[in-house]
Amino acid sequence: MKVQELMTTHVESIKPDLYLRAAARKMKELGVGALPVIDGDRVLGIITDRDLACFAIAMGHDLNSDPVSKVMTREVITCKADQDIDEAARIMIEHHIRRLLVLDNNKGVAGFFSVDDLVRGSRELAGAVLEAATPVH
Amino acid sequence: MKVQEVMTPKVETIAPSNTAKEAARKMHDLHIGSLPVVDGDQLVGIITDRDICVRVTATGRDATMTRVKEVMGKAVETCFEDQDINDAAKRMIDHHIRRLVVLNRDNGISGFLSVDNIASKSHELASSILEATIPIH
Repeated sequence: MKVQELMTTHVESIKPDLYLRAAARKMKELGVGALPVIDGDRVLGIITDRDLACFAIAMGHDLNSDPVSKVMTREVITCKADQDIDEAARIMIEHHIRRLLVLDNNKGVAGFFSVDDLVRGSRELAGAVLEAATPVH
Repeated sequence: MKVQEVMTPKVETIAPSNTAKEAARKMHDLHIGSLPVVDGDQLVGIITDRDICVRVTATGRDATMTRVKEVMGKAVETCFEDQDINDAAKRMIDHHIRRLVVLNRDNGISGFLSVDNIASKSHELASSILEATIPIH
């Protein structure tokens, strides 16, 4: 089974110069926990609700003037839309994560593929991903 | 198998009178995503990185003035350390959640039990929990 059969499409993105408060508001409104950070067609990073709490607040950033680019994660782990789900699961397991940004063949964002999507294709692989994931209690 | 055999013991806590910034700092330093909120020895709530993102970062509240009790979740689902993991998993499924605060029989906090802990013993049970919850991508 391919990633594109299970992944979440229609992923919103944000620009790197958006202020931290606006990014958090966008996540709240969309009910999402992660957004790709995109400049033109280029993926620069990923920002999560955790970044906007733990980094933005804990480190005392100015939420009304500091941009997303200050707290985003620049090293984005990705897979391709036409990859097999077991390969995508292996990438998650290797990196101890539960979500991958899915790229199309032009390196544009095609969606997100998370352990929640994976479980609909393979309960066994989803369990293995969770077992390997770094716990964030 | 009992909850205490798979749970994460030694949970850090925070007081309701601490500030949101102190909570974010603690989550950042300890690499965790949630803290039980304890008043004296009583469990009164739980605060997560997402709570801080949507209720502090997104809203314009001052994180150094906002108290944990103003932004925490007040409904905390729990289980007992000597319960069977199948019962604990069923509780997660029924409540559409992935994490329980574990109590001892004196109602003191003895750990956290998450879907990740359960995955280390049963991929099947962990998958059932994933399928029952509403994913936040």
